[in-house]
Amino acid sequence: MLFHTWPFLVFLSVVLPVFFALRKTGLWLPWLTLASYFFYGWWNPYYLFLVLYSTTLDFFLVVLMDRCPPAGEKVDVASRLTRLRFDDGVLKAAFVVCVVAALGSLSLALAGPRTLRPMMAVLGVIVLLMALGALYSSRRIWLAISVANNLALLLFFKYARFAVGNLNAVFTGLHLPGLHLPDPSTLMPSGWSYVLPVGISFFTFQSLSYTIDFYHGKVQRERNFLRFATFVCFFPQLMAGPIERARHLLPQFRQFPQIRLRNFTDGASLFLVGLFKKLALANYLALYVERVYDNPRAASAPELILGTIAFGWQIFFDFSGYTDMARGVAKLMGFNLILNFCNPYLAASLSEFWSRWHISLSTWFRDYVYIPLGGNRLGWFNTYRNLFLTFLISGIWHGAAWTFVVWGALHGLGVLITRELERTAIYRERVPKLFKQAGVFAFVSFAWIFFRAESLNDALLIVRRIFTAAWRDPHIPALMAALVGSVWLYEFWYESRFRDLLKSSFVRVGVAVGMVLYLCLCSTGGGTFIYFQF
Amino acid sequence: MSVPASTKSAIAEVPFGGNEVRLTSRQWLVALAIIALTLVATPRLWVKFERFTTGSDYRIPYQLSNDYWLYARRLGQVADARHVIVLGDSVVWGEYVLPDGTLSHFLNQEAGKPDRFINAGVNGLFPLAQEGLIDDYGQALRHQKVILHYNVLWMTSPKADLSTTKEEPFNHSRLVPQFSPRIPCYKADSTERLSAIAERHIGFLAWVNHLQNAYFSQKSIPQWTLADDGGDPLQYPNAWKNPLAQITLTVPSAPQTDPQRGPHSPRHKPWTEPAQFDWVDLDSSLQWHAFQRVLTTLRQRDNDVLVLLGPFNEHMLSGENRAAYRTLRDGIARWLVQHRIPHMAPETLPSPLYADASHPLTQGYDLLAKRIYGAEDFQRWLTAP
Repeated sequence: MLFHTWPFLVFLSVVLPVFFALRKTGLWLPWLTLASYFFYGWWNPYYLFLVLYSTTLDFFLVVLMDRCPPAGEKVDVASRLTRLRFDDGVLKAAFVVCVVAALGSLSLALAGPRTLRPMMAVLGVIVLLMALGALYSSRRIWLAISVANNLALLLFFKYARFAVGNLNAVFTGLHLPGLHLPDPSTLMPSGWSYVLPVGISFFTFQSLSYTIDFYHGKVQRERNFLRFATFVCFFPQLMAGPIERARHLLPQFRQFPQIRLRNFTDGASLFLVGLFKKLALANYLALYVERVYDNPRAASAPELILGTIAFGWQIFFDFSGYTDMARGVAKLMGFNLILNFCNPYLAASLSEFWSRWHISLSTWFRDYVYIPLGGNRLGWFNTYRNLFLTFLISGIWHGAAWTFVVWGALHGLGVLITRELERTAIYRERVPKLFKQAGVFAFVSFAWIFFRAESLNDALLIVRRIFTAAWRDPHIPALMAALVGSVWLYEFWYESRFRDLLKSSFVRVGVAVGMVLYLCLCSTGGGTFIYFQF
Repeated sequence: MSVPASTKSAIAEVPFGGNEVRLTSRQWLVALAIIALTLVATPRLWVKFERFTTGSDYRIPYQLSNDYWLYARRLGQVADARHVIVLGDSVVWGEYVLPDGTLSHFLNQEAGKPDRFINAGVNGLFPLAQEGLIDDYGQALRHQKVILHYNVLWMTSPKADLSTTKEEPFNHSRLVPQFSPRIPCYKADSTERLSAIAERHIGFLAWVNHLQNAYFSQKSIPQWTLADDGGDPLQYPNAWKNPLAQITLTVPSAPQTDPQRGPHSPRHKPWTEPAQFDWVDLDSSLQWHAFQRVLTTLRQRDNDVLVLLGPFNEHMLSGENRAAYRTLRDGIARWLVQHRIPHMAPETLPSPLYADASHPLTQGYDLLAKRIYGAEDFQRWLTAP
């Protein structure tokens, strides 16, 4: 169900009134959970099991973690066993259940129905690890299981085909015909299709952040399963973020939010801006981008340049439009989701770009990848290595293709270079900000080539043709250029000292009316969101 | 349980966004008032500014067949007891003939008045779509005499009846019932269905559709700016054109010459291939049930309706197939009699006067009009108050 479609309007017009009607009862939370599961199940009811599985496992892993000594506390093996035997009934029960479940799963993996065997083997290993966690009463093992489980889901659904394809190519290259890995779709239970579950990268990261934060003592254990389930699957941000942190969103579900008129006006404002970004801008730009990128061999150099720039804006409008609508819908219900985009194409350095673009993901990688790798604590070489690795992983997070790996690597390199440049007084003080902004925009646009191209070969072809193809009229519509130009100008204005002019009633009402009327007159169909594929 | 103070501050600290489009309640009220006024007033005022030249023998141009807002406007134009509105599909519209070769033209000729009979046929309009057209765009059709044509062509197979379960593309899908009664071969998703319903009930959206049909080659404005000319290499003639300049405030008329229609067109020739049809039962036919509902709606709006059944090209049929057709036709006639609905089922025209199973050629329409106009029953219906 997409925010900009009529079914969502019907959905929201049922969910909102009931949610408000239940405000004085304890049922508003179950209603929110139910609505969120319905929202997700609308796309593919089978994959609701994945959300439920991930949620349940992480919830109970933290319950078990809570019963173990805090991280860093040294407890010898003997006292752990004593604790298992005599002190903690829950851990003991978990141990027994896990051992039984592991035996059951492994038996099915060996002798059960053929289509279930791989899944049962994985499940058997996971519950066996859980038994080990209970036996040693170790938080670290519970955390490892949570991380491994969430990453396993991601790896299987997102990367398995890519990995299998590459490995098989290597085997063929090494003349090892006997080695041929099966396609991951053959491992699915019968009746299930092997498709990437929408939003899996988002809800697994969100759930994972809760277990990691709990492990580090940054968040308290959530005792209410429904509240935690709602945190993981809260429908406005379930499909494409923003990736919320437990310490920010979970407390908001502890009591019915205070609803003020401001919630509705702000929610509607955010939703309108998001809708405009998606329907009026992203979808329009997509038409031009598709024309250029579907057949790069036929495109002229200006077409490839403008098609790439258009894609940069398309993905920004598409993704930030989704986020705006998500934040708007959450706001209507009284919940605050974090800001995910803040005019990224005005950034004057790549580091700044990443503090304005997909902020929730950037900070996630900072907190859970870059800092655990050592951050900037271990000298310049390790800092740069950590930065580069973080961007590389971020690239891979976006998709299972070499193009994303190159995209991540390019950004990693770009950040290292601009950091070094920023250290020089000439660049820092003499180069005008506008020049820096243009440089960052050019670099980000160049990197988008790898993000958008169908394959690495296509991307390289596009780069080559930009410099070698003929210069012909790119046929970019004037209306498109005017729309994007207006938005860019608005952003510059917003960040200038004349920002207060934009706050005047005349401008605000004029912009809102203009956007609604433009949408009524000129919107370009529906279409799904780009980030649903990640 | 209350929210901890630290959480409250964290929630309050979330910035609004990267723009200032943050309207207060008062600003929203003003904006909504302006938007509502624009949405309601624009289509109404548009009628006053946009020239819509019709004249006798006017029919909605082929390229505007999906412009339902214009159809509603046309019906409003002829909402007068002087006119008899002829409703139907391409048989009424005149698939193979020019505007001066249609049934309504020859009926006018018989009546000796140029605009007594109004051609309100729409190309490709089967009864399931006609139902939507009359329900939502035919409100102006009240207290008038209406000739409603029924073409049994829509019952020649489950596919034509839209009752097959295999997905089939068809014209005017935005007019058919979107949810109930269910059309098995219509597999649009709920988004498409709900947007079709919205377009039918929100006048402004129908007017936007009119703009797209009349001025932007049936495309949205953004799509129009990107349209190519189909040449090699492709050119994009609209890229730098001002879209507003396209809106000439004159409804496009049919092209002066139409190579696809009229006595000089290669398509205007007698049928050749016999056919074998897989007739659909009257009881299970979706199209027939839709036709019955159209009839009910028209009569509820106090229209005096005469049903014109056929004449289908029986020469195309052989043996049992013809018998099956006649059973069907008789069943329809029986139902009309039972419900006391005035109707006519003219004799089959001579074989060379048909272009295909249901469409007459120019001379066929002429002969048909003479037969209809000359019939006593028709005169009685026409002259009744």
